[in-house]
Parts: sequence; C-alpha cells; structure tokens
Amino acid sequence: MFKKILAAAIAVSAMSVQALDAPIVGNVESKCVVTLDKQGVYGNPSASILSTDAADGGVEPVVRYDVVIADAYKAVITHPSSFSQSPALSDTVAWTGSTAVEAVSDAQMSAYDTSKIEYDSTTEVDLEFTGSTWFKVSSEADYGVSKALPGGTYTAIVQANCIAI
Amino acid sequence: MSNLLPQQAGLQVNQVLYRYTTVKNPEDPLLVTVQNENAVDGGYIFRETDDWTGLPGNSIFKVVGVGGIPIDYWGDGEITWEGDGKVTDPSVIYTYQYDTCFDPQSDPSCPDYKVEIPDIPSVEVVDPLDDTFVQDEIDREMTMRDEDEEERERQRMSDEEEDDEEEVDLETVLGIANRSLQNAQDTAKHNQVMALANFSSQYYEQLPDTVYNETIQLKDAALPKNNRGRRLQFAQDLLHDKLVKSQYKGER
Repeated sequence: MFKKILAAAIAVSAMSVQALDAPIVGNVESKCVVTLDKQGVYGNPSASILSTDAADGGVEPVVRYDVVIADAYKAVITHPSSFSQSPALSDTVAWTGSTAVEAVSDAQMSAYDTSKIEYDSTTEVDLEFTGSTWFKVSSEADYGVSKALPGGTYTAIVQANCIAI
Repeated sequence: MSNLLPQQAGLQVNQVLYRYTTVKNPEDPLLVTVQNENAVDGGYIFRETDDWTGLPGNSIFKVVGVGGIPIDYWGDGEITWEGDGKVTDPSVIYTYQYDTCFDPQSDPSCPDYKVEIPDIPSVEVVDPLDDTFVQDEIDREMTMRDEDEEERERQRMSDEEEDDEEEVDLETVLGIANRSLQNAQDTAKHNQVMALANFSSQYYEQLPDTVYNETIQLKDAALPKNNRGRRLQFAQDLLHDKLVKSQYKGER
C-alpha cells in the first residue's frame, strides 16, 4: 500500500513544473522635442551688469518646442538665477529675467504669452496646439551695488523642460 | 513665379515656408492669407489663412507641405490681410526638387539618353570614269602614251647599237696595248728570276711553241624588234590601270 502512494506522488510532481514568460515590448517616442535654436550671449554694457538684451550687446537665447499632440505637455522654462561658471565673486548678484513667445507656427499659439504662468524664475506654458513654438529668454545679472565684475568667463544656464500634463 | 523659381523642366514645389509678424491689439479681428494663383486652372494653387482675431500680435513661422506641385501651376503669390492691424517682415520660401534627367535628352549621362542620328540625304554618286567623254579621253591619252613609248624604245635601241660598236673598237685598242706592255714586264721579271739560278732545270724547260687557234666564231647580228612582247607589256599596263581603278570603285 505504501509503495503505491509514493509512485502516484512522483507522477503528479513531474507534471506541475511547466512555466513560460511572455514579454510584451513597446517603444514610446517623445511627442515633445525641445531644441536650442539660438545660443545666448551676455553683453557687458557696464562694469557691474551682464545682460542678454540686444541693446546691451547681448543675444537672447531661443528655445523651440515641437509638439505633435495637443494639450499633452507644458513648457517649463527657468531663466538663470546663478552662474554655473564664473570667477570668484565676493558680493551678491541680483538676477532678473523673463520668458516670452518669439514666434509660433500657428496663430493660436500667440495666446501662450497671455496664458503663461510665471513664478520665481520659472515660466510655465500649456502647449495647447500642435506645432512649434519659439520662446526667447532674457537674463540680466547686476553685481553688488554697481560693483565691477571680476574679469573672466561667465556662464549661466536656462533650463527648458517639456513635462507631460 | 517665373522670376523666382528656376525654369527647370520637371521642377516640383514640395513645401511653402512663410514668416511674418502681426502688429495688432489682441481684441481686434485680423485674417492674414498667404496664397499663390493657379497659373493653369485659375483660382489658387496654394492658400493658407491665419486667424489672429482675439489674439495678440506675434511672429509666425509656418511650414506647409504641398506635395510636389509642378512649376507650371505656380502663379503670382501674395500676402493679404483683412481686419485691424498690419503685417510686417513677410518672407516666403519655396522648397523644390527636380530631376535633372526629366528630359533624358538634356544630358548624355541620363539613363534613357538616345544618341540622335541626323537624317543624311541620299546622294547619287556619279563615277566620272563612267562618263563616255572621260573614257574617250583616257583612251586617247593611253594611245598617245603607247606611241611615245614605242618611239622612245626605238630610239633607245638605236642608241645602244651605236654604243656597242664604239665599245668594241676601244676594247680592241686597249687590249693590244695592255698585252704588249704586259709581255715586256713579264719577260723582265722572268729574266731576273732566272738569273738567281735557284730553280731546277724542270722549272725552266722550254715549252713547245704551239698555237691554239679559235675554232668557234660568233657572228654579231642585230636582234629583231619583239613587237609581240611589247604588245604584251602594254596589255599588262592596261590591266594594271584597270585594277587600280577598280579598287576606287570598290570604295564607293
């Protein structure tokens, strides 16, 4: 009797070890592309100021957002509030800046300038239409109280992100 | 558009890129249209309208695909607007492409290029040698040349005969003189050698004085004219001329 039970248990265990993994693969291409269209340059109109204003000898950087799905992304652009590279500074730097729509591929996008949300150094724009939008960013750094900036290379970063809503 | 796009056969416009800036109050109505006339069927081949009503003015940069419209259809273009406001800094760019071998005959390097063979008019070739007057003239010249040849040959034979007679006389005189001179010299040399007396008697035994007279007599006589051979030569000349002429006939 004992022998018969053991043989049946072995047969059951041999049938229950079958298994299979079936992977499902998918690729998602970004429907929002951010491109730097124009490199920014700081002008030095006075000893204590660096500015991207054309009147000050600077160049405002331009960032392009290409969106293929409407109402799916928002542009989040932050103008600089510090130097990423500079000589040693002993005084404070006062930062100002702004982000504005420079050009659009659809007239409806012109409303982005009025519907944008600004806080601190950041501007948020809901990208409601498909197509391309060019944003220009202005930046100005005032050093101390009219204190001359030390000589050297100054670099500041504009952060432009495309965030899914 | 004829002064804007290159007049290349097979040219097609693929995209229209335009840019302009609107200056307006946000609440004002404004419709801006970029368009090109249809030069073949009338109306417009390209027309794009932007509605700026209720929107602030801004710059627009738009790319519109038109899907390869042939150059013939593209008429004059313009930017027009209706409403309050204005359009500044307009710019329109057409992107195009064309096949350089659209007309294969435009370039020998094109795949379907065919070498054009001009129509050559057929010309009837007239052989001047076939002309009766020319042939008669050639025959007349040949006859005259044969007669001249005969005359020259006759003259040459006559001259040779005279030369032969003179040569025989001169040789006879020179032979007599040389022989007598030779005999005297030989005799003197012989005497000198004999005086040395170094030879045995067998060397200077007297030979019998025997004369061997010439028994065969060749008679000089004038060779007769070989008129038959001369005719054969002239016939060969004629045949040669005919062969030379026949090769030129063969070229035609």
